[in-house]
Amino acid sequence: MRYDPPFPKSNGFRPTLIALAVLAVLPFIFTDSYSRHILILAFVFAIVAASWDLSLGFGGLFNFAHVALFAVGVYTYGILAKTLGVSPWIAMPAGGITAMALAGLIALPVLRLSGIYVILVTIAFSQLIYQVIISQSDITGGTSGMVTLPSLELFDYRFIKNHRIGYYYTALALLIAATAFLYTLTRSRFGRAIVAMRDNKYYAMSRGVSEARTRLLALMASGLFTGIAGGFYGSYVRVASPDAFGLGFLTLLLSILLLGGAATIWGPLIAALIITVLSEAMGDLGPWRNIIIAVTIVLVLVFYPGGLWAAFQELREVFDTVRTGLIARLRRSREKAAREARLNATETMIRTRHGLIAAADSGEPDGEAGPPILMIHGNSSCKEVFANQFKAFGKTHRMISFDLPGHGVSANADPEKVYNVPAYAEIAEDVLDFYGVERPIVFGWSLGGYIALELAASGRAVRGVAIAGTPPLAVAPDDVGQAYDATSHFILAGKQYLSPMEMRNFATATAGEKTPGTAYLHEAVNRTDGRARFYMITKLMVVNWPRQMRMLREGAVPFAILNGSDDPFLNHGYIAGLTYGAIWTGQPHDIADGGHAPFVRKPDAFNTAFSAFIGEACDR
Amino acid sequence: MSADTLLFVITGGLVLGALYALMATGLAVVWTTLGIFNFAHGAFIAAGAYIAWQISSAEASGLGYAAGALGSVVGMFFVGVACYALLVKPFERQPNLVLLSVITTLAGASVLESGIDILWGSRSKQLPRIVDGDVSLAGVTISANEAVLMVFVLVILTVLGLFLRRAPAGRAMRAVAQNRESAQLMGLDVPRLYAIAFGLSAALAAFAGVFVGSIRFMTPTMGSDPLMKALIVVIFGGVARFTSPIFAAFIVGLIEAFATFYAGLYWAPAVLFAIMIVVLIIKPEGLFGKYQRTVQ
Repeated sequence: MRYDPPFPKSNGFRPTLIALAVLAVLPFIFTDSYSRHILILAFVFAIVAASWDLSLGFGGLFNFAHVALFAVGVYTYGILAKTLGVSPWIAMPAGGITAMALAGLIALPVLRLSGIYVILVTIAFSQLIYQVIISQSDITGGTSGMVTLPSLELFDYRFIKNHRIGYYYTALALLIAATAFLYTLTRSRFGRAIVAMRDNKYYAMSRGVSEARTRLLALMASGLFTGIAGGFYGSYVRVASPDAFGLGFLTLLLSILLLGGAATIWGPLIAALIITVLSEAMGDLGPWRNIIIAVTIVLVLVFYPGGLWAAFQELREVFDTVRTGLIARLRRSREKAAREARLNATETMIRTRHGLIAAADSGEPDGEAGPPILMIHGNSSCKEVFANQFKAFGKTHRMISFDLPGHGVSANADPEKVYNVPAYAEIAEDVLDFYGVERPIVFGWSLGGYIALELAASGRAVRGVAIAGTPPLAVAPDDVGQAYDATSHFILAGKQYLSPMEMRNFATATAGEKTPGTAYLHEAVNRTDGRARFYMITKLMVVNWPRQMRMLREGAVPFAILNGSDDPFLNHGYIAGLTYGAIWTGQPHDIADGGHAPFVRKPDAFNTAFSAFIGEACDR
Repeated sequence: MSADTLLFVITGGLVLGALYALMATGLAVVWTTLGIFNFAHGAFIAAGAYIAWQISSAEASGLGYAAGALGSVVGMFFVGVACYALLVKPFERQPNLVLLSVITTLAGASVLESGIDILWGSRSKQLPRIVDGDVSLAGVTISANEAVLMVFVLVILTVLGLFLRRAPAGRAMRAVAQNRESAQLMGLDVPRLYAIAFGLSAALAAFAGVFVGSIRFMTPTMGSDPLMKALIVVIFGGVARFTSPIFAAFIVGLIEAFATFYAGLYWAPAVLFAIMIVVLIIKPEGLFGKYQRTVQ
């Protein structure tokens, strides 16, 4: 199961639109032929490098004959358009066809080999084609190549006129088409097969992916726009020369690909622009230019083996951390009154061993009091999600809740150390110690459910534990597949950056439709530190799950499960099939139409059940 | 075809084979020990030739051929060690070392070739011949230079073979090549041996450069053709034994000589590459390689 939102609703949509708009108006800023020439070259290299990324980055096939595919596109254009007099508009796409056919030929030896042998056989293949081309000098012009190829024109308008404006937009159109092709392909079923074949060949084969077919088609698909770009290049520089086979061109493309970041599509596009502009800017340095470029490549690879794309991701993480941290800091004082009114409680900032945590306390109730209640919220939410319960139980119980680190108005924290369930349980302990609360009833929702179980299982004295939307696990991550129904929204729980649509989907699936009353819960998703989602999921393994299961089986702690009957994430059969030593009502209690958050959607039914559980837990 | 022509073609092939053996063995030393393919090997050959020219040529220092060869070999050993430290060592722990080392060694080749261009200019140069005149043996006449060259190559390869089989350092290198973890557990200094392997490979490239420079013109990019040939040889013969690339080199040299004679200058490389592809498909571990279940 994999989750991919449609492109217009993904995070990349707006930046792509902006980049497109910039590229579309760029020729009006750079009106001279030379700047446009560099941009056109950058577009061509970007197409070739990004296409190579399909086989090399996504497919893990080290096809070093990729430059030969490009050269074959150039020669196809030359032979068709000049020697045979075919229209350039037919000769250009024909370059793509011959490149695809050649890629199919290359695939034959590649299918039997792996690793470094693929590099060697494809280099040999590329050299073989080079030798064949220079030996046929009456057709291809031999080592001096073909010159004065026909250029592009449409209705007698020559594209070279007006400072190459026609070529610029043709190259841009090709770039957009190639990117759309690669983007769609990598997100399709076939694209996943390519990646699966790279990551775990035998598992992919056992799931019915054909190795030969996948590799063959991946290579051919990488050849399509490479060949067309070759044809376009031939029409633009009007020369078909065997230089394209040289190690120099191979090094240029490979450095674009690796500097940009393999298996990213977008990385090579950005790197092509940077490297082409840089190398042109240093044009008058002669051999020094090659030295500077080579040293830059090695330095970037030493410090960012994932290329510029990895560096960009780090930058994005810094930006997102600062953004969410600022939101929390601003709200901490500004909206404090509104938050306190919502819960009818006092908010305090507590310095715990895992950073600054915002906690709410309704205080000791007047008159006859029940046990104190600690409520722990779930992933990408905030403590105010329990507003209904604070109001209903606040008169008879001391209600305590807190924002998890990276959530609500608590501070962002060190992701490696803090964003995991055991650390969250330690924070809960610190909050209880701060208020001096002994033996509370602990309620946890979703992720909070695991925190509640961890808190009780680690030995903290509690009067009872209730969970909602949490299937107890014995082995992570193996049980996750059974315990949850893998809906697409479930994937969002561990996704670092959510697009606006994804935030809406996630908040709706967890807390319900956006209404004026629940708008703050939708806003809480936006504030949450993305690293909290990502690290929490990746660190599920550090939790001592068998200890939690043992506690539930032994039944020393009063326990209740209060799920919504229509919870979209849970596998109810899995939860009912577990062994519980002491569970309230003898089985998981379902609240009709409660969704993932029954205490928000059906507060009355939930409060009645919760209250009954508290009564029974206190009687024991 | 007369007997004379046949002998002429065969001796030509043997001379080529001797040069290829030297280049391919240098390439194979790095490949077997480190498991990577060094694309800077061609640039090593060029750099070796230019250093030798700088020391030996009358236009520069003028210290004579022997001093040039010696200086070049010693100098290139350290260039090789430096290349290992800068281009390969930083990436050793990366999972995609094979791919990364391709681009870093290509970058290294680019730096070396451009550096040669800056230091010595792009005008072609030539090293003096080792000896002048011709020698005749059993009715075959070849230039004395080529004969001496072949003798030197055989001596160098014999010494290298003895080093790898008898000398403690050579045996340690082979141990690392066979099983890095075990060798490390036995207390061998693996990074140092890797550096020595790289330096040794560069020193062999320097020899190749010195010899090539005395029979052909030198340009900064003179190494790219020998690199391709060495690549064919290594694949053709495999690297199972130290001698595999040497036998393969002579076979390739002979094939090239005959292909040039029969099919023409332009077709000879095409024939070689076609043969290489066929060998790779049928027997990826090389003609003299042992069967392995997995080919890395």
